[in-house]
Amino acid sequence: MSGRYALDSGCVVKVPRALGACSANKTCNIIRSRLPLASSTYFHTATVFSSQPSSITVTKEPDALFQRVSLLVKGHDKSVLDSYELFATMAAKELGIAISKVCELPKDTERFTLLKSVHIFKNHRVQYEMRTHYRFIELSHLTGSTAQVYLEYVQRNLPEGVAMEVTKTAMEKVPDHILKPMWEEDPIDNKLSQG
Amino acid sequence: MAASLSSTASARLLSSLRSGSLSRGLHVTAARCKNRAARVRVGKGDRPLTYEEALPPHHIAHRKGWLSQHTGNLRGEEGTAERTVEDVFVRRFIFGTFHGCLANELVIKRRGNVLVVCALMLQKLQPQKFYFLIGYSETMLSHLYKCPVKLEVQTLQDKAVYKYL
Repeated sequence: MSGRYALDSGCVVKVPRALGACSANKTCNIIRSRLPLASSTYFHTATVFSSQPSSITVTKEPDALFQRVSLLVKGHDKSVLDSYELFATMAAKELGIAISKVCELPKDTERFTLLKSVHIFKNHRVQYEMRTHYRFIELSHLTGSTAQVYLEYVQRNLPEGVAMEVTKTAMEKVPDHILKPMWEEDPIDNKLSQG
Repeated sequence: MAASLSSTASARLLSSLRSGSLSRGLHVTAARCKNRAARVRVGKGDRPLTYEEALPPHHIAHRKGWLSQHTGNLRGEEGTAERTVEDVFVRRFIFGTFHGCLANELVIKRRGNVLVVCALMLQKLQPQKFYFLIGYSETMLSHLYKCPVKLEVQTLQDKAVYKYL
């Protein structure tokens, strides 16, 4: 996505939009136009999303570990999902995240048949359908902070008309009281109960 | 000719025998129920059409794109009707505010909370008036829908004609 600016000479220059994963969304309209000397003038307005960088917090508690973070991306347009998959996998590779699976689930079609006319004519109907295409991206073995950064970046750049569902599988340490079986810990109690 | 006369004669006989049970009226056939949605009928060849108007709706996703992009119509997502109603209102509002200046249909996109309206305009007004109307419509719509509304405008000299029908 780029902002377009019309310069005085009449040529149009493409400028890449700043992609920042950040908190407050500040937006500004950038307008350039020639002075109205002639009767016809042309201009473009473009929108640039700019935001301040978020503050980095340092805590002493241990980071959450995720065994799997799976993204299911849904959309109507398959080409949009293709480019988004390329974007997400490239971002994951740059951040050093292990991608375990990238696959395309079969599409879902929702069809319904309605009467074509407002009144009578039952034999003439219209059929509509809505297709939902899917992409499934699975990342494995992430820390909580990595997952947070990656998801924020990827979600801020989600294209319009595309929805995403994220499932995180967290790993937790096995609690101490079930690490060892009970019969190994207290053999005397068992003997007493038997006798 | 003779066949038709005899058939009508026989029909009259039948109707006189069984009063009212045999209807002689002809119900409308498929010719009247052709699809007319979003299609421009072929004419003399003097009517200019844009690409959007010239292609019928069964070409959406094949040769056409979507004019309104939101997640309401996806499987498992909510808010279809609300987005549609908002879209209709926004189209009418912009059509009325920039009366006679729109070159093509609006493209409405929703990214997160933001409503982005992309419009192609003709250069009928002074740029200052355009700026005022853009700011006015953005403020009004953002107050109505309680979300940031952006209007992305590109201007042309004339409508981009794809076909003459």
